[in-house]
Amino acid sequence: MIPSSFEYQAPKTLDEALRLLGRHGDEAKILAGGHSLLPLMKLRLASPRYVIDIGHLRGLDYIREDGDHIAIGALATHAQVAASELLREKCPLLPETAAQIGDMQVRNRGTIGGSLAHADPAADYPAAILALDAELIVQSTSGKRTIPAAEFFVDLLSTQVRPGDILTEIRVPAQRSGEGTAYCKFHQPASGFATVGAAARVIASKDGKIEDIALGMTGVGSKAYRASAVEKMLRGKQASGELIESACAKAAQGVEPLSDIFASAEYRRAMASVFAHRAISAALARAGVHVNAKSATAKPSPAKTPVKKSAASKPKGKRK
Amino acid sequence: MRLEGSALLPAAREKVYESLTDPAFLAKCLPGAQELTPDGPGRYKVSLKMAIAAFSGKFQGAVHLADERPPESFRMAVEGRGAPGFMKGEGTLTLFENHRQAPNQQSAQTEVRYDGEAQVGGVVASVGSRMIEAAAKKIIQQFFDAAAAQLSALAKAAKK
Repeated sequence: MIPSSFEYQAPKTLDEALRLLGRHGDEAKILAGGHSLLPLMKLRLASPRYVIDIGHLRGLDYIREDGDHIAIGALATHAQVAASELLREKCPLLPETAAQIGDMQVRNRGTIGGSLAHADPAADYPAAILALDAELIVQSTSGKRTIPAAEFFVDLLSTQVRPGDILTEIRVPAQRSGEGTAYCKFHQPASGFATVGAAARVIASKDGKIEDIALGMTGVGSKAYRASAVEKMLRGKQASGELIESACAKAAQGVEPLSDIFASAEYRRAMASVFAHRAISAALARAGVHVNAKSATAKPSPAKTPVKKSAASKPKGKRK
Repeated sequence: MRLEGSALLPAAREKVYESLTDPAFLAKCLPGAQELTPDGPGRYKVSLKMAIAAFSGKFQGAVHLADERPPESFRMAVEGRGAPGFMKGEGTLTLFENHRQAPNQQSAQTEVRYDGEAQVGGVVASVGSRMIEAAAKKIIQQFFDAAAAQLSALAKAAKK
């Protein structure tokens, strides 16, 4: 429970942090909220020589409107994202997701940038980021790059953030008219991580046609992914309970599910379908389309009004 | 936990067998290994460094080769002990000629199927359990990726 010795550095500016990181390369780790890195260090599963604490940098926890996007500073905590009026109005999927992360202490300390850069296979944000087609901005001493969410997650705990890089901003598009979103999660009862998490974004016409759909899945495989087989079956189609059900059977298609003492690979695959179904049904309901879904989780709510977290975000039915 | 799967290696079966049972070759494929020091028949001492992104750990351990039936199959056991805990894996590697390949020798491919049991203990197991299986698969993949790269490099060198 005591980490190996390391050198602690607390730069005052982002530039200084980037210079330190550039100098130490892969011997250094960035510390933000500390809720992913510190547990690993205490178990000595990670023993970086240098820990560069960016948690005290000012001005990197903003949430602000920027054209038709919302820009979120990497140091915004989960609690800030969950409580943001701007996001609830313009991009409700993100606060709905943030409100379901871990417990209150994790939400008060953990940051959106830290969670995404760590890329735990069961973290919640990745599903939402993928469904939103967000952009991630990464900086190093050699400049700034913008990475689309679809390319960001590489493998287990691996992203496009390389040694020397700091993830500084997440940009999400503002919700369009006819759009509905939902995040449905199967909480691991001990860790609060997502055994399976599904983030759906749909754009539906008034007569119930699914104009576009994006489905991000987390917890299932070694990295979060877009369930493109499900999207393909639903895009451009008239929404119906049967169609959604048969599409969601493909929620883990082409993915080798994780397996642990709590949930086998087979069970995860089955739950991926169940939670994809719940997320899509809830997102459709919020877009004003009600399908004859027996397992629908969302109560109808007027489209385009921010949805209270408690109303429909949590999967109803029993927690297993 | 049970680990099974397969990997394709770019060489003929005899060559793959010879390589995978050669301590000098294995030293280049096992993550973080510098050298396999002989320690009795079919046994070698080795130090390993496993790393997956932020996770990393150093282990002192041994590699044991047994039941050698060239060029078809052999058993391999790898065990290690270190600050993060201990790990132990043992399984059979079976080599198949890949029939889907083109008949020319230069593109010879061999499919290696592995089937074994692994145990992990200590702090790694207590907290890392959520990701241990995924991590073990990733390490196996790193092993076969390194083996494939070595075999390609050898083939290239032989051509010159």
